[in-house]
Amino acid sequence: MVAEPAPRHASGSVGAPDPLAPAIAWFTRRGWEPFAFQREVWRAYLDGECGLIHAATGSGKTHAAWFGPLLEWLAEGPRPGDRPATAPPLRVLWITPLRALAADTEAALRAPLVDLGLPWTLDRRTGDSSAGTRARQRDRLPTALVTTPESLTLLLTRADAAQLFSHLRAVVVDEWHELLGSKRGVQTELALARLRRWCPDLRVWALSATLGNLDEALDTLLGTHPAPARLVRGAVPRPLRIEALIPSRIDRFPWAGHLGLTMLPQVLAAIESGRSTLVFTNTRAQSEQWYAAILEACPGWEGTIALHHASLDRATREAAEEGLRSGTLRCVVCTSSLDLGVDFSPVDTVIQVGSPKGVARLLQRAGRSGHQPGAESRVLCAPTHAFELVEVAAVRAALAGGAIEPRPAVRRPLDVLVQHLVTVALGGGFSAAAVDGVPAGELYAEVRDARAYADLAPAEWGWALDFVARGGEVLRAYPEYARVAARDGRYTVADATVARRHRLSIGTIVDEASLRVQYLRGPLLGQIEEGFIARLRPGDRFVLGGKTLEFVRVREMTAWVRRARTPGGVIPRWSGGRLPLSDLLAGAMRTILDRARAGRYESPELAAVRPILELQSRWSAIPAAGELLIEQVATREGFHLFVYPFEGRLVHAGLAALLAYRLSQRQPATFTLAVNDYGFELLSSTPPRLEEALAAGVLRPGDLAVDIPASLNAAELARRQFREIARIAGLVFTGYPGNRKTARQVQASSGLLYDVFARYDPDNPLLEQARREVLERQLERERLGRALLRLSEARLVLRSPERPTPFAFPLLVERLRETVSSERLADRVARMGLALERAADGRRR
Amino acid sequence: MSVRPHDVPIVGAQETVLAGERVLLLPERALLWPAQDTLLIADTHWGKAATFRAAAIPVPGESVHDDLTRLDGALSRSGATRLVVLGDLLHARAGRDPAMLAEVAEWRARHLDLAWWLVRGNHDRGAGDPPAVWGVRVLDEPASFGPFALAHHPTPSEGAYTLAGHLHPAVLLAGSGRQRLRLPCFWLGARLAVLPAFGAFTGAAGIAPAADDRVFAVVEDGIVEISHHGR
Repeated sequence: MVAEPAPRHASGSVGAPDPLAPAIAWFTRRGWEPFAFQREVWRAYLDGECGLIHAATGSGKTHAAWFGPLLEWLAEGPRPGDRPATAPPLRVLWITPLRALAADTEAALRAPLVDLGLPWTLDRRTGDSSAGTRARQRDRLPTALVTTPESLTLLLTRADAAQLFSHLRAVVVDEWHELLGSKRGVQTELALARLRRWCPDLRVWALSATLGNLDEALDTLLGTHPAPARLVRGAVPRPLRIEALIPSRIDRFPWAGHLGLTMLPQVLAAIESGRSTLVFTNTRAQSEQWYAAILEACPGWEGTIALHHASLDRATREAAEEGLRSGTLRCVVCTSSLDLGVDFSPVDTVIQVGSPKGVARLLQRAGRSGHQPGAESRVLCAPTHAFELVEVAAVRAALAGGAIEPRPAVRRPLDVLVQHLVTVALGGGFSAAAVDGVPAGELYAEVRDARAYADLAPAEWGWALDFVARGGEVLRAYPEYARVAARDGRYTVADATVARRHRLSIGTIVDEASLRVQYLRGPLLGQIEEGFIARLRPGDRFVLGGKTLEFVRVREMTAWVRRARTPGGVIPRWSGGRLPLSDLLAGAMRTILDRARAGRYESPELAAVRPILELQSRWSAIPAAGELLIEQVATREGFHLFVYPFEGRLVHAGLAALLAYRLSQRQPATFTLAVNDYGFELLSSTPPRLEEALAAGVLRPGDLAVDIPASLNAAELARRQFREIARIAGLVFTGYPGNRKTARQVQASSGLLYDVFARYDPDNPLLEQARREVLERQLERERLGRALLRLSEARLVLRSPERPTPFAFPLLVERLRETVSSERLADRVARMGLALERAADGRRR
Repeated sequence: MSVRPHDVPIVGAQETVLAGERVLLLPERALLWPAQDTLLIADTHWGKAATFRAAAIPVPGESVHDDLTRLDGALSRSGATRLVVLGDLLHARAGRDPAMLAEVAEWRARHLDLAWWLVRGNHDRGAGDPPAVWGVRVLDEPASFGPFALAHHPTPSEGAYTLAGHLHPAVLLAGSGRQRLRLPCFWLGARLAVLPAFGAFTGAAGIAPAADDRVFAVVEDGIVEISHHGR
């Protein structure tokens, strides 16, 4: 069915048709009525405004953003000289954070195009696009293109980039909250700045989940460019009901551990009573474990349950998504890999295994279930240990208070800037001419249009430019080096190898170094982090996608495997995935414990966990809102100091290191640290003189800027953080895909590179960035500072229980351990058990 | 060049016996065979940083200067008159940076009495033999030398004890309370020994020693034997 395109003549005259009419007619034909917010967005778009639409998933944000450009086309009508046979050039870019979403998005955008009979072409371009699609798009881009930040950046490396985008009217950034707060968000900002320079009237709209910092989200989208813009709130979300599955016997319920399957029977019952269920887990390892456990308990469900996580092969993931859409799957066990995207209408039950760690995250997950009109959303939380019951109650309390976490944007990452400079040099080059004394001043101005670089100093700009052109100050003596070169007043990339390597590494902002996993004679199974594969020996078994595999060998960036004859094996522990408890939730948890201390167990969850909290109270104490609980326990292992600030694991990691450092400044000692979301532990072989140290102010904020780096073995942490920076800035190259050509002679571990830079170029700003990122991301420096202020005002409650308390127990089993030492390395080696660890790897060099 | 009497102990070195011969493991990441006044090192990978730069990857510095300083220390402390490099002397052809080559030639001019051998490693095959002016005698593996077979790849030889490199061995140490350290090491087995990588810009890989193997870690300016149970 093709509708007659509406009004052709200029609006404004009396009786002129409503420019929104075609959209309203389209909605009406579907038996819908546009929401007020959708009309608002359409009008704003037609008036030339930019903006951000925030609402829950599946509430019509897509149509709100998409009809603006369509209505504009219809209102303008065909111009003289238009050839109807040829589709118009690229007018709308639709940026999606996940390539897995591109297909769904394209389908959603296509329906109105077809119905309205627009002569537009619509296509998508992601890392998954076929060679055929790429070839087709080489000559001509479609009228509307669905793409990812990486693929957009790749388009910017084309020499004819300015031409390609010259007719662009609108950019829509989908799931902007997902990009914001990451370097991919910064990559998007830089691309937008570029596009705005070519198309000054460009309208940029973002779709976002509700965030605690929507104004910042909008500002970051718009850049420093002045433009009329608005925040639009989408349809009011349905009420959300959060319930915990309560263990039948709390005394049998574990106090710790995050993979616990104790609640399996209740989860099975919930799946059974629902039509279609999403089981969200927090890590890939957890999803593998739950998938296996569910299948083992209900073998008859084979074929109707599926697994979905980022390491699985695309075909496997797509099959699971399709099963959810069509309603043929009873249950999908997944990770954050299904946090985003269009909703799955048949899904009527959402189960969260373990703590969601944040309000925003739980809302997002709840939004993935279908939307029967008027129905409330419901999320069932399956705790894996006792204290997660308290977290569930805390989430509910925080949500009732209307609070939601912010996502702060990233500021001035120099690695992304370095990458962008090479991108621009490839994409037609840039003028070397100085403006107001700043070299390549034109591009400097453009880059500063991105919020992330609004405060970029000329000196930092000069460094980045010099770094890509000459390798920086220290490489001046090596004239053989050249990545970007100035020729006839323009910086360009002359070397084809450099160009190729750069294009291949653009995607690496997301990717951890990972290897493909493939059957020796058979299909691709998925991907696993290199670090895990490195620990395997031929013959070792591991589990991926519910299948037990036997590791054969690594060759050409691929881990070759065969099916194992006997089931069971190691479930890989993928890196990442362990989010800290959000600031908001941590605060809610302290409040709830404060009430529990006063005997107020006000929710089913708290009532269930009451015996454990009472035990804690009897053996030690439950801290009140203005108190900090510290427990000292002596065991065979040594002297434990347990501190419970309830501030989230990252802050605790910082606090633990800081306290260990300050204690060890007073008496030489080595501490072993353990942290979780509730507190931290310092373990030492000699008793720390705690009272004395506290009196001397070891828990006061003091000079954090000096003490934190000093305390954290900061060099080691920065060395690890450098991995990502080195990859983005093009220092580390992981090889060519498909891998005929390995680049072995120019491969080095980022750790080694960090050492080399630290030795020969200690002032390199990329090293400084690594140190800064460690403080900001891994330690949440600001939050840490606030926590210390709070703690320095808190009343200390010191207890010496006879044995580790319920609060202490999870810390004892916590795996993450680090050491801070004021002893000499050699002394430490002598004291250590000197037990040799099994080789991490035996790879050839 | 002063030859040091054999009975004077070398600070920080660890003495052991391989193939019936007394040898010393030096914290400079070198192995000394006093009976032949021979110092053995492996995997210098000189020119590696230059290789990166040639590929437009901005890696600063060239570790050859530091390596030569450390080599000077080991030579003067040991009084060795022969230097054997067990492969991978140069990293890659693209890394044959004139400044680096000249610096080594200059160093060589200060050690004219030193006999210098190289057993070709996999990288040397790609990088080409060292310049003639370095005066290096280039051998193919395995090269017989007394009871030893000099090699780059750690492959056992018939009727000889193999001294090799290639693996860049390191031990991962775990102490009580999950302390972790990664240290370059000498890995001595029944039929072959693997030396740590000498070059500063080389990296290291963890090893899996068998129950009877002995492992000596380089800890700052000393050598520490690591007891293990062949895990």
